[in-house]
Amino acid sequence: MSDRILGAVCVVAAAGMAWAAQDYAAAISYEPVGPKAFPLLLAGLLAVAGAWLVIRPSSHGDALGWAQIKVLLPGAAAMVVYALLFETLGFTVATALMAVPVGMAFGGTWKQSLAGGAGLGVALYLLFDKLLDVVLPSGLLSFVLGGR
Amino acid sequence: MDTLQHLLAGFAVALSGINLGVAAFGALVGTIVGMLPGLGPINGVAILMPLAFALKLPPETALILLSAVYLGCEFGGRISSILLNVPGDAGAIMTALDGHPMARKGLAGVALSISAWASFVGTVVAFVGIVLFAPLLARWALAFGPAEYFALMCFAFACIAGLMGDAPMKAVLAALIGLSLSTVGLDSNSGVYRFTGGDVHLSDGIQFIVVVIGVFSVSEILLMLENQHSTSGLIRVTGRTLFNLKEMALTTWGTLRSAVLGFVVGVLPGAGATIASAMAYTMEKRLNDSEGTFGKGDIRGVSAPEAANNASAAGSFVPMLTLGVPGSGTTAVMVGALSLYNITPGPALFTQQPDLVWGLIASMLVAAVMLLIINIPLVGLFVKILQVPNWMLVPGILAVSAVGVYAVHATTFDLVLMTVLGLLAYLLRKRGVPMAPLILGFVLGDMMEQNLRRALSITDGELGILVGSPIAIGLWAGAVIMVAVPPIVRVVTRRRAASLAAAKG
Repeated sequence: MSDRILGAVCVVAAAGMAWAAQDYAAAISYEPVGPKAFPLLLAGLLAVAGAWLVIRPSSHGDALGWAQIKVLLPGAAAMVVYALLFETLGFTVATALMAVPVGMAFGGTWKQSLAGGAGLGVALYLLFDKLLDVVLPSGLLSFVLGGR
Repeated sequence: MDTLQHLLAGFAVALSGINLGVAAFGALVGTIVGMLPGLGPINGVAILMPLAFALKLPPETALILLSAVYLGCEFGGRISSILLNVPGDAGAIMTALDGHPMARKGLAGVALSISAWASFVGTVVAFVGIVLFAPLLARWALAFGPAEYFALMCFAFACIAGLMGDAPMKAVLAALIGLSLSTVGLDSNSGVYRFTGGDVHLSDGIQFIVVVIGVFSVSEILLMLENQHSTSGLIRVTGRTLFNLKEMALTTWGTLRSAVLGFVVGVLPGAGATIASAMAYTMEKRLNDSEGTFGKGDIRGVSAPEAANNASAAGSFVPMLTLGVPGSGTTAVMVGALSLYNITPGPALFTQQPDLVWGLIASMLVAAVMLLIINIPLVGLFVKILQVPNWMLVPGILAVSAVGVYAVHATTFDLVLMTVLGLLAYLLRKRGVPMAPLILGFVLGDMMEQNLRRALSITDGELGILVGSPIAIGLWAGAVIMVAVPPIVRVVTRRRAASLAAAKG
């Protein structure tokens, strides 16, 4: 990705913002500035900033190549799956499973990562849910841990 | 006299049992987070903030926790700078220049203790500065109307864009993205739902915690994944663990000078610990480096940047407390934390909630004392933590982050949004777009829009009010100067360097 692409994406996003904001109007208006003025102002400025990057891109910043994407993909995918299954599987199981790809991406073996993740899952669940009263989903283990 | 009374009341708050405990816990966690390469104060505060809220801590206690974490991070960053030559956080980059050579000479214990002492002095100097100047500034800021506030926020963004270095347009872009994100949800003035796409989860806006954790925890993990480094180069602490009087005398003036400089830089919006420590190091090097020992393990090169970065961290509380406009990413996160409690920081806070403000200020001194106490004898313990492998640590960070986000609304939607925002933030950071202006924009967005609308309501839409008072005009002028001067300075220095090179060549 380059600055040009980033700038172009910003211009497109600004156009989308402006298009969505044009219909915003108060049913009954008490003030001279309604709900669409500020978003339209921001969209305009965002378009200018994006266009600036398209016209004058800088060489700063790293490129994102395939080699990096290969390194990142398992970790990133694990994060997305973790978020999606957090409630269904429950905190403990989801954390233990998430720790395998993430731990392995950081140089652990799968056994170490799974054991570490399971330990984290149980310890943090007990700490937060039981001790500190921050309610976490118990999911698959609800028959042992109670709750939902 | 008034100030003294408030301060005493503040100490009564700070020294109460729970607040002392929270400050000690925050100081410990902060030191650890600051020490871990890749995680800085903003990550520490971001990860702990939702937990403080989920634990239903009272607002002053939550704020004391977060500020102890912040100050702790500035203390902790030096440990990995000195022992690993990898700065634990951005403010500790300069400390590595002389700290690591000292450690290689076998003076690791001396470097660690003198830098802890300098950090302490820096915090104390900034504490005195806050006590002296914050009430004055708050009283002056009471005269601000909506137009002045709008101008002030524009000034804060201008400072960040001007001082954030080589890519001002990217800082502007980041601020605009943050501001745009803040407009999502119900517009309270008109009852219109904006940018929600009809989704009920977005109707009261994007949760602040979701943005902060996504931007500073998820994207940070992705960056860590890419730049992995091992802790194999860790130097063991041997020999003397405490500096002697001669070393203390040698560093005293430099430490005090750097602390004052750091405080002033910290008060300015946008500058912050990284710039403060770099300026302090450069200043001490110019003043003292007659034998060319700086960079080879000079003790003065360790104490100066540490004093400055801690003073600037404490100083950055001044604009947040007195004006309600945070000057740094970390204090922006704290403003967000306060908004969870329905508290809007600003000059009125000094009169309406003196216990909160002065309790926080007093607790900074308490936290500094605790940090000094835990940092000198417990260094061995912290070194052990540096050896915790990343395959254990990173899943832990991610799990705690998810707990924090889940604690707010208990929805899968928020967790997914956190991850998506984290991935987008990672892409932006790869292009060199800074995240501090983004979070500042997100925090200030609502305030900025409300003040603009209020100002224009007064004049029924006439734009003249925005430049209608001397204060507003001054702030706009300041904003223009902040944006215009740094690039000009850069061009001039580059030309001068080029002409020097031409003259030599």
